Amino acid sequence: MKRNGINRWAKPAAITGLIIILAILPLLLSSPYLLHILILTFVYVVGAMSFRTITISGQFPLAHAAFMGIGAYTAAMASRYLDWPPWITIPAGALTAGIIGIGFGYPFARLRTLYYAMGSLFFGVAITYIVQSLKVTGGYVGLTKVQPLFSTVSRVPYYYFFLGLALVCAVALYRFEFSRIGTNLKAIAQSHLLASSVGINEVRYRVLVVAVGCFFVGLVGAAFAHYTPIVTPSTFNLSATLWLAMYVMIGGMNSFAGPIIGTPILYFIPQYYFSDLRAYSPFIPAVILIIIAYLMPRGLAGLISILKSRYLDKFWGGIKAKEAADAVRN
Amino acid sequence: MLLEIKDLTKQFGGLTAVNRFDMYIDEGEIVGLIGPNGAGKSTIYNLVTGIYAPNRGRVIFNGKDITRMKPHRVAALGIGRTFQLNPLFPDFTVLQNVSASFHLHPHSNLFDIYFNTPTYRRNEAIIQQRSLEILQLVGLEKVKDDLAKNLPHGYQKMLGVARSLATQPKLLLLDEPLGGMNPAEIDFSLNSIKKMRQQGITIMIVEHNMRILDLCDRVVVINFGQKICEGLSEEVRENKEVISAYFGG
Repeated sequence: MKRNGINRWAKPAAITGLIIILAILPLLLSSPYLLHILILTFVYVVGAMSFRTITISGQFPLAHAAFMGIGAYTAAMASRYLDWPPWITIPAGALTAGIIGIGFGYPFARLRTLYYAMGSLFFGVAITYIVQSLKVTGGYVGLTKVQPLFSTVSRVPYYYFFLGLALVCAVALYRFEFSRIGTNLKAIAQSHLLASSVGINEVRYRVLVVAVGCFFVGLVGAAFAHYTPIVTPSTFNLSATLWLAMYVMIGGMNSFAGPIIGTPILYFIPQYYFSDLRAYSPFIPAVILIIIAYLMPRGLAGLISILKSRYLDKFWGGIKAKEAADAVRN
Repeated sequence: MLLEIKDLTKQFGGLTAVNRFDMYIDEGEIVGLIGPNGAGKSTIYNLVTGIYAPNRGRVIFNGKDITRMKPHRVAALGIGRTFQLNPLFPDFTVLQNVSASFHLHPHSNLFDIYFNTPTYRRNEAIIQQRSLEILQLVGLEKVKDDLAKNLPHGYQKMLGVARSLATQPKLLLLDEPLGGMNPAEIDFSLNSIKKMRQQGITIMIVEHNMRILDLCDRVVVINFGQKICEGLSEEVRENKEVISAYFGG
């Protein structure tokens, strides 16, 4: 579709501005706690983006944080027991999550909507239980003494590492979604019968998107294992998955920017400014979600395009609507 | 024979939706499949295209047994179809509906797609070009950037047909292509179907509207999942069993 004047510049400008601000942020701020929260925000942004990538195929993956855990534990164990360096353990964690994602995606590709969501939810819970009960994973306590990524106490190198990782993942997932692969996945989500009637192999594509989503969440999970002092099962349990789902839903499921907007608002801001309120955390997103469902059904990212169409596109929109009406009449 | 259906039977629980059904289609024909609501017409389509697996019987297309084959493989062999309900991808634009349906020819592999290779870009350019040609054929190029769900009903039906042409089928199964259309739209659709035949596509039509009979070389009539008569359009029109199936008495 043709983009009109302001759209062509607004998006690249906003993205460049955001990257520049994030790149110079550590020079302006020296609070290690703030940097820590920002690093975790980057981790969760990747988690939420890969979550959303799976949802474009109509699958709602409620085992997603468990796959972050698979990546994290793979990297942690490879580092601890085998002494592998991070540059091997991180890809290994991502690949393990992706391969287990294929094994998980294949049988689940027969399920749809609520059945898929419930099935994957129990799969994630099962993984958490397995990790909790094994000795090799450290049980409830988790794994410590994973080799850190950088040998400094400063968080600044970690900040840049995770910022870079989030950018790479964002570009990779964007290219995935806005190619013919993404088109096929969206076609499957709208009507799987129609999609298969034009020759799209539904099962293959649904497994593919799960594998890709799990790969990226495993990648960031594996990197996270080399940052956090301890890898625990509770970091990747059901409630962690539900948080990822909230970041995506509140940001806007139909927009690539959704999780990038939703995660900072729901994670960073409450964590940094209202950390006392986080005890009430299950209630806050519930209330926000209800408000958003009422006021902005397409999420926060949708709000931007609604405002834009209300104010900026009024002129062009009016002309286009008239043309369309004329075309239908003729 | 392009398509041969032999002894096809499908039961849903205790209900026999299709019962020992036989029919064939020769290359270049337009064959109508008519019958009252619930006669099993759409079930036959779903059996042929692999959405359902039959309890008994065979489907042979172009000399190849396609019984129990997966829908996307049936499509790849050259059977296109439209759907009576949900004929299109509602959240895609008209143009996207057609270009998304160009999955088979020209086909790009995942590597080419993801890394945006010259092969993929060339294929996509061909697809855009051919999609526009198809939209011109069915007269929808003026609304190509509209969301499919916002189209008037008749346009949606035509888009469904346009979409199925993108798979470049040898055999096209149309499911009630005239349903809910006004007389002008019906004229236009009948014309488009004639044009498709001229392009060498064999067509099977499920339809209630009797005006379709003018177009068909042959008609098969079913009721309660069984074939009750078969013949040329004029013969079928006069057949007593057909009249009683439709009008009672």
